Amino acid sequence: MLEVHDVDVAYGDIQALWGVSLNVQKGEMVALVGSNGAGKSTLLRTVSGAQKPRKGTITVEGIRADTADAHKVVDLGVALVPEGRRLFRDMTVLENLEMGGYIGRARKLKEDKLEWVYQMFPILKQRLNQLAGTLSGGEQQMLAIGRGLMSDPKLLLVDELSLGLAPIIVKNIYKTLKEINRSRNVTILVVEQNVRLALEVADRGYVIENGRITMEGKGQDLLASDEIKSAYLAIG
Amino acid sequence: MALFLQILSYGVINGALYGLVALGLSLVFGVMNYLNVAHGALIMLASYAVFWACYYLKFDPFVSMILVAPTFFVIGWILFQGLFQRILRFEEGEKIKNSLLISFGILLIFSNAATMLWTADERAVTTDYTGKVIELLGVRIPYIGIASVVLAIIVIVAVHFFLTRTYFGKAIRAVSQDNEAAGWMGINTKMVCLVSFALGVALATFPGVVIALQTFNPIVSFDLTNKALIVLVLAGVGSLKGVLFGGLLLGAVEAVSVFLVGSAYREVVGLLLFVFVLMFRPQGLGGRKS
Repeated sequence: MLEVHDVDVAYGDIQALWGVSLNVQKGEMVALVGSNGAGKSTLLRTVSGAQKPRKGTITVEGIRADTADAHKVVDLGVALVPEGRRLFRDMTVLENLEMGGYIGRARKLKEDKLEWVYQMFPILKQRLNQLAGTLSGGEQQMLAIGRGLMSDPKLLLVDELSLGLAPIIVKNIYKTLKEINRSRNVTILVVEQNVRLALEVADRGYVIENGRITMEGKGQDLLASDEIKSAYLAIG
Repeated sequence: MALFLQILSYGVINGALYGLVALGLSLVFGVMNYLNVAHGALIMLASYAVFWACYYLKFDPFVSMILVAPTFFVIGWILFQGLFQRILRFEEGEKIKNSLLISFGILLIFSNAATMLWTADERAVTTDYTGKVIELLGVRIPYIGIASVVLAIIVIVAVHFFLTRTYFGKAIRAVSQDNEAAGWMGINTKMVCLVSFALGVALATFPGVVIALQTFNPIVSFDLTNKALIVLVLAGVGSLKGVLFGGLLLGAVEAVSVFLVGSAYREVVGLLLFVFVLMFRPQGLGGRKS
């Protein structure tokens, strides 16, 4: 579904990604983990079109995404749940969801998609006419994910959803993500600082350090590996 | 009491005009952080356009809006594509500075060109109902004044409807709150900015009509830009209601000051209000803290 091949990304003179390659197969849930500043969010920003790579290619189901503008990438079936949520704070919950479903083909499915979002995150239905900026952190994250689902994506990119949220809320949201992945076959790529949490739910994982992919494997295998244990899980 | 109401009525009539004057400026600034100080010149040009539509085509000024508004939408489109679109990619501070530079140039060029082409003579559109007044509770209210207020209400309600009930209008609000995130929704932010700018210029039509019914010359460009900026500060960024109330507030304050200290200080009072609001409530009456 997603093929990132040998990508270099730089912000001006500062290079953030070096020869990054990864892939996500249809129906998978893949985690990209690493510490702060490793380049995880940069990769998602590049896949979603906000950033252009200096080198390398990104394809979604065979179609080039790295040359497209951000709004065109959404047409390809890619939806980003941005780092920090980036909700439209002065717009209501419903309006935020509507904006998620802005593109043509999503508008036709609006009622359908809304029902699905309410199913996954019932609290949103209760807060429909509230301004997004007045929601709690967990509710905002749910809204951000719901907003991402409104465009009927084939691939959902979730950037650092655990930031600033209480652990129990994060756990529940990951459970819901897993369900979204399983029940509706939405391919998901999560980017996470919380290595354990991400690798527990993911089918496969990649580890990124200083802009380079250093490890790859099944979620459970990575969790069990000595390197991950000592570097990220404070064990041994 | 009747005197107070009289003053208030002039305050409301002028205030409605000021709200209309600032509307286009506020929309453009809110969406893309362009400070278009040429907006006053565009209103001046709209007044001339209305004047000619009335003089040569014998239209009623309010009917001429149907011709002038789309024309100015196209003018806005061309201005954006030709001059303003290159700086769209800049970050916020640079956008404000550069748009200020570009639009200031346009302000000078348009107002001087108008003076050269059409002289500095004062023009005005007179109609059957110019000068007629209605007496209400001892207050004399000009028909033109009532028409201006009604126009302001209709325009603002229409814009509000557009921004809150249509997909594109909501997209405009989304882009003005978070440009990057709007792009991630699949919104073509460049197109939204282009249309918003063109719309902002088209909105110059409505204060243009009101001004045409008073008197105008090329120099009103500067006065109108000043008023627009004051109301923008009063209103705060991104607040449509704020524009209306800011305009009314300015109108009311001016009217009261004329009564208290005479008309010589009318402009000063507006500027004092401007400074006052910037000092104590910089986000404006309706704006969000940014």
